[in-house]
Amino acid sequence: MTATASPPTATTPRRLFTVHEFHKMAKAGILGEKERVELIEGEIIQMSPIGGPHVLGIARLNMLLVPLIGDDGLISPQGSLRISDRTELVPDFVVLRNKRYDGVPVAADALLVIEVSDSSLSRDLSSKVAVYAAAGVQEYWVWDVKRHVVHQFTDPSEGQYQQRREVKLGETITSVALPAISFKVVDISR
Amino acid sequence: MTATAAAPTATTPRRLFNVHEYHQMAEAGILDEDERIELIEGEIVEMSPVGGPHIKRINDVTKLLNRSLDDRAEVSPQNPVRLNDRSEPMPDIAVLRYRGDDEDVPVVGDVLVLIEISVSSLRRDLGWKLALYARAGIPEVWVFDVNGQRLLRHAEPSDGQYRRVDELRPGDRISVPTIPDLVFAVMDMLGHRQRS
Repeated sequence: MTATASPPTATTPRRLFTVHEFHKMAKAGILGEKERVELIEGEIIQMSPIGGPHVLGIARLNMLLVPLIGDDGLISPQGSLRISDRTELVPDFVVLRNKRYDGVPVAADALLVIEVSDSSLSRDLSSKVAVYAAAGVQEYWVWDVKRHVVHQFTDPSEGQYQQRREVKLGETITSVALPAISFKVVDISR
Repeated sequence: MTATAAAPTATTPRRLFNVHEYHQMAEAGILDEDERIELIEGEIVEMSPVGGPHIKRINDVTKLLNRSLDDRAEVSPQNPVRLNDRSEPMPDIAVLRYRGDDEDVPVVGDVLVLIEISVSSLRRDLGWKLALYARAGIPEVWVFDVNGQRLLRHAEPSDGQYRRVDELRPGDRISVPTIPDLVFAVMDMLGHRQRS
């Protein structure tokens, strides 16, 4: 018998975790509070390190959003959002309903989710879209900081966003869920 | 439901765990002591269920080894062996040097031979498992191919593989390394093939 070094997980299923177990790991000190990890379909995934354009993108977008939202929503930058019993993500921005919370906000609390995308563009535009749509997140933006294009997904139904629009540099983007959020797409990467 | 589209792919970077964190999970009640899981290169994987004939073979071989080895070795069926900081698999049987009152999880230095049993067809997971054992420097692994009525003895680990593989048949004899005076009949190890 030949000893092939193929990864065990090609033939062996991983032990999956629930959000409850995920949080127990943090409490027990197994996962550090500052660790950049997400729970996706029961697997603990390492988030990619944030590069310069991503950092600046988050900072500049924050500056754009805060004065427009006022009391209409609660901006949660890089906060956890519980999607299901097996999935808990950390989007770059979640605009939450402005109410009191007793725990980690859930998908139904999110009016708008924004991912600022540098190297993670393909993942944000494929698997993440599916996750947010399936969870019924009202609106999802992927801000491509390389091309200065915002991919706007709205109207989730049957696990998919029924509307998808691309808003380019200089054009105006307006949130469907929160019309107060309306501004011209600018270069936020520097 | 678009769960499949959303699931992480083979290349998605997982958060890996070390043996310390793995045991912390058990202490914190996240992992149950009775769960059939292994830590393999930082990933916690589920083991496939063991069928009746497999259990029977593990029990028979354990009995056979225990009877003869007595205090000269410790026979540890379906228990973990710590290979390194990132891997703690659960072989079918580990034959360990006699450890007296040592209550630690056995490590590579304790292992004389690991036994993996394959009842129906050669198990698919044995390929990577052998590579893992070889990389860790486990001196000998016996793979029982019960249906094929042969025992594959893997020895001389180097560069992540076993340089020497001997195919032993029911008429052959075998000994645990370091205890050469105790000789076992391969026939007794493999048991009699069941025909339907």
